[in-house]
Amino acid sequence: MTRKWLRWLPAVAVPAVIAAGALAGSLPARAGDPLPPRTPEQVLQLIAQHREPALSGTLEQSSELGLPELPKTGAGSDSSGTAWLELLTGPHTARVYRDGPDNARIQVLDRLAERNAVRHGNEVWFYNSKDNTASHLQLPAGTADHYGSGKDVTATPDQLAAMFLAKVDPSTDVSVGADVQVAGREAYNLVLTPRSDATLVSSIAVAVDGQTGLPLGVEVKARGQSEPAFRVAYTSLTLGAPDASVFTFSPPPGATVKEIQVPEHQEGKESANATPPAAKDSTHKPVVTGSGWESVAEFPAGTAGSTPDAAALLEQATVPVQGGRLLSTALVNVLVLDDGQVFVGSVPLERLQAAVLQK
Amino acid sequence: MLCALAAIPILIAVAVRVSSAVPPGRGPAFLDRIAQNGLFVGVTALVVSVPLFLPLTVGVVAGDTIAGEAGQGTLRYLLVAPAGRVRLLIVKYAGTALFVVVAPLVVALTGAGIGAALFPVGPVTLLSGDTIGPGEAVVRLLLIAAYLAVSLLGLSAIGLFISTLTDVPVGAMAATVVLSVVAQVLDALPQLEWLHPWLFSHYWLDFGDLLRQPVSWDSFAVNALLQGGYIAVFGALAYGRFITKDVLS
Repeated sequence: MTRKWLRWLPAVAVPAVIAAGALAGSLPARAGDPLPPRTPEQVLQLIAQHREPALSGTLEQSSELGLPELPKTGAGSDSSGTAWLELLTGPHTARVYRDGPDNARIQVLDRLAERNAVRHGNEVWFYNSKDNTASHLQLPAGTADHYGSGKDVTATPDQLAAMFLAKVDPSTDVSVGADVQVAGREAYNLVLTPRSDATLVSSIAVAVDGQTGLPLGVEVKARGQSEPAFRVAYTSLTLGAPDASVFTFSPPPGATVKEIQVPEHQEGKESANATPPAAKDSTHKPVVTGSGWESVAEFPAGTAGSTPDAAALLEQATVPVQGGRLLSTALVNVLVLDDGQVFVGSVPLERLQAAVLQK
Repeated sequence: MLCALAAIPILIAVAVRVSSAVPPGRGPAFLDRIAQNGLFVGVTALVVSVPLFLPLTVGVVAGDTIAGEAGQGTLRYLLVAPAGRVRLLIVKYAGTALFVVVAPLVVALTGAGIGAALFPVGPVTLLSGDTIGPGEAVVRLLLIAAYLAVSLLGLSAIGLFISTLTDVPVGAMAATVVLSVVAQVLDALPQLEWLHPWLFSHYWLDFGDLLRQPVSWDSFAVNALLQGGYIAVFGALAYGRFITKDVLS
């Protein structure tokens, strides 16, 4: 009997060894020297002095916004109407290539599909493999750095960090947390905490590369939620110019090519499918009440539900509340009044309703 | 069984040939590209056959290995030879592995062949929007077949283990196929996200990474590692079961 059980030994040992290996592999490996301690001001300075780097890397993005996750059917396809919403739900992987201010390529890797944004000089191409469509954009000379570098497809950590850091004002507490490791690199953890209680944002953490000052990851936490509501970070990063052929793009034969006219003002660009319908119409200027984290933006009537498609989507995603309908996510609340006015803010519903009454 | 697999690309190609143009974004991935480029028949056929047909045939072959011999009563005679049980197990698994390598290859090559016969062949558009020549496209197609061969090795190891548990080959085949379906169902449930990277079917459809420019090898590596783990675990279990088994029939 014992002899028989002895013969089972390898059958038990192999799974045990593999389980141990998997456990050891999932433990965070400490590598590299610890970074010298810096004050929040010094880290901010480090970010400010970083230049447009040449890099290639892989980004991982995940969202826990409280939106329903859209079903992902294995080999199938989904309608383009929900594509922008799909970017806000569930995890995504993207590859980023950059070389100087006017060479960039972002590839959003979907299962058996891919969305591309390529910028080479003043030429910008968008390509979606799902429906085999390409859009072309000719930038006027001397356009701002980030303009058109694929922001519509997905945001890189440094673009997001720049956006959040531009808003740092006395209503925000800036501190440096314990160093983190992102994509195998030691990084400072710059934490922005709103001083106000009347906001849905609990904290924003920016991982700043200790050597170059390049933001490597951004994590937004919402109140009452342990998992980050939004997270984007590099999982691998190689500094240095990528192969130049990456930035050359010509539409494949058989693809539907659309020419996009460059709009006069920056907000009006509607190119890839990442722009929410409500934000597309830039002719309506929002009125902002409140300050800092508690600010509420008010859009005049007629902003939401302009197309039947968007109206149906709105109907599904919102819940009726007093005075209108509420689209509630972990970070942003959107109140659509019955007359079509829209109030947006990362504040609780009560604050939005108070803003309505203040008018 | 290989003929049945080869019928899939032929069916797809003929269906697309006789029907009108397929609108982009409908049906299985790459279906709309076939009319422009015949080489996509191979890719589409692989996409179609990955969820069911390939696991089905692999399940039949792997489930039959030991249980089939036991069911026919020939296992005893095989073990009379001084080759030893371990060697028999290894030879049986090698036979399954050979089928696993050949099966996706047959689908891919038949697809490319029938596609080349019925449709024009030209530069192939990758997922990234870049185009490559037909020669390189065939290399990518062979890479995909290799990826799927690696992907199915884990399932065949599971099948081998189940096959040592029973004397009824049909039971082992069915159990293997059902397991592959169950794994894919679990993979589709977002509530079980923590489990997904451990499911042997999780990376099956990620062979699209080989159609990007530049090629993304990450999924190939992680898939190979996962399948290696499955082979080791279920190979060891099959070994433990088979050398302690009472072979009566």
